[in-house]
Amino acid sequence: MSTTRTLTAAALLTLPLLAGGVAAKPLAKACGPNDKYVIGFSQANFAEPYRQHVNNDLTARVKAIPQFELQIADAAGNDNTQVSQVENFMTQGVDLLLISPFEAAPLTPVVSRVFQSGVPVIELDRRTLGSNRTAFVGGDNTKIAYEAGAYTAKTLLPGGGQVAVLEGLPSSTPAIERLNGFKDGVKQNPGITVVAEQAADWLPDKGQTVFAAMLQAHPDIQVVYASNDLMASGAYLAAKGAGKEKQVKVIGTDGLPGPSGGIASVASGQWAATFIYPTGAAEALDLAKKILLDCAESVPAVVTVPTEAVTPDNAKELNAKLKF
Amino acid sequence: MTPSDNTEAAAPGGLPAMAERPRRDILAVVVRFQSLIGLALVLAGGVAFSPVRRGTLLFLTPDNVANIIRAVSETGIIALGMTFVIITGGIDLSVGALICLCSVLTATLLVDGGWGVLPTLAAVLAAGTLFGMAQGVISTRFRLEAFIVTLAGLQIARGLALVISHNQYINISYGEGAGLAPPAFAVLGTRLFGNVVPVATLVFLALAAVATVVLNTTRFGRYVFAVGGNERASRLSGIPVGRVRIAVYGLTGFMSAAAGIVHAGQFSFGSPNDGAGYELTAIAAVVIGGTSLFGGAGTMVGTIAGSIMLGALANILQLNNISAALQLLATGAIIVLAAVLQAIVGRRDGSGR
Repeated sequence: MSTTRTLTAAALLTLPLLAGGVAAKPLAKACGPNDKYVIGFSQANFAEPYRQHVNNDLTARVKAIPQFELQIADAAGNDNTQVSQVENFMTQGVDLLLISPFEAAPLTPVVSRVFQSGVPVIELDRRTLGSNRTAFVGGDNTKIAYEAGAYTAKTLLPGGGQVAVLEGLPSSTPAIERLNGFKDGVKQNPGITVVAEQAADWLPDKGQTVFAAMLQAHPDIQVVYASNDLMASGAYLAAKGAGKEKQVKVIGTDGLPGPSGGIASVASGQWAATFIYPTGAAEALDLAKKILLDCAESVPAVVTVPTEAVTPDNAKELNAKLKF
Repeated sequence: MTPSDNTEAAAPGGLPAMAERPRRDILAVVVRFQSLIGLALVLAGGVAFSPVRRGTLLFLTPDNVANIIRAVSETGIIALGMTFVIITGGIDLSVGALICLCSVLTATLLVDGGWGVLPTLAAVLAAGTLFGMAQGVISTRFRLEAFIVTLAGLQIARGLALVISHNQYINISYGEGAGLAPPAFAVLGTRLFGNVVPVATLVFLALAAVATVVLNTTRFGRYVFAVGGNERASRLSGIPVGRVRIAVYGLTGFMSAAAGIVHAGQFSFGSPNDGAGYELTAIAAVVIGGTSLFGGAGTMVGTIAGSIMLGALANILQLNNISAALQLLATGAIIVLAAVLQAIVGRRDGSGR
């Protein structure tokens, strides 16, 4: 049964190639503006505040589309659980799979299987390997971190100075991209030296411990770039603990809303800035509408959502706007 | 953890003790088969609450059943080994970290080492077994609680995994040449029988069959029950208690290695962060399966049923889009229920089991 399905899918995929410009098929097997559709969203880990923010954003936005029902499953940071959830979504026969894979390689076979069975797949924030997906929606980590670096070089330390970096979990792609992006960005100002860079694994407590040690070793650090908001909170506590919260300017990444989020920390003057890593919820749902409601025959394969800098100039306004 | 009373029930297997009470009442039967009954109930619930699409019960489709068993294959495999250890009255906390170490080792040997499939499998299985046996040796020689020794083992296995992988995940790509794994290893990530049954599912079921036979029909299996039932009496009757204990930890090490290989194979991936908490899921499956943490009593079939039951429960809840929180609550309730039933029967029989 599934063999025939795969064959049909393969036929569907090769058809446009063989037939040249002859009428392409819609991306979804069933589509149209008047039906109801179930979208299954497999989220890598509810425990991360950024991912909770994505869930909230999606849930709030999907309410405006009466044809869509969104089901969110928590993979709890476990590849095996996530594979099993995707299999279950397939069993349930969801009309579209939305997924933020916890890790790329382990999820690739099962996501490919879903895609090849004819179900459209939108990957959000993180990709699987290969090209078995309908579209990818996400931010550009390198670019976001680059902008943080450029902001440091031009606005925070125009006269140069010492900078420290708190890196995420070293084995993860965003950690590497954010580290390199930031280091490229600060190169614009030759007076800046990155005196310390260490992993704090995305965790606030680790961020505090690591940055406290950095301040001991390099008492003149003037800017600390944290690859996420949680580590930035930890860095701020460490600076405060050393009595240097005025000297050290903290930059976060993600720009989470809410009372304990990065935007509020910039608004209250504790941090110098944070750079929003967008949820992509609006863009992903727009694609889903095109695929399921408008019977689109093609959609952009990659949708890059731009960042927004949160600085003392706009933090209060943003903080009031983004309430979840 | 071994009960010191009850020196008379020394016979291996603990079966004569049961034979003295021919009138086993319903409660005892329920406890003996609690996990099978539990599994039957969960399956019945699964059928009753299964979403239906085009006239088909989704819960019972071959894909879904195979998926359920695949989802529990890794924790199920370590639960098989854990059953032996717990029947001897021990515990092994290192298994989750050891899965991780073995999956990283598998990936490293295949990708960076350029090893063939068979040498890799042999080396990883040997490494896991030796790791387990080392814990058994330390625990028996120095008369240390297995809890402490395997807690240390957990840290060491996780540390070694980080060292071997340089704290990076390792993608396994297949092909010929340097940096590529032999394509034969990819079979662990595929499905057989019309692309329905995952190979990981089959590996679990095959190991489950072997473990059942070993525990129920071999002399080693009888020794395991005897050592857990009454260590002193076992010693007096000439059972090599120390060697049996070392062997069961070797067995959990072997099973962890097998699960680690399955992990690396089905996900084409080795990560130093994987497998955290698997030991607790495995222990839960064993306890639900009716094996006593005091040792001396338990069944392999119970463990297998307990593992599959946890998977089926998670599956039916997700098919109905019910949150993961409820799944944890249900699992917790089932563990308590299983333990309470055991305690009631144990106290009434006066065996403390």
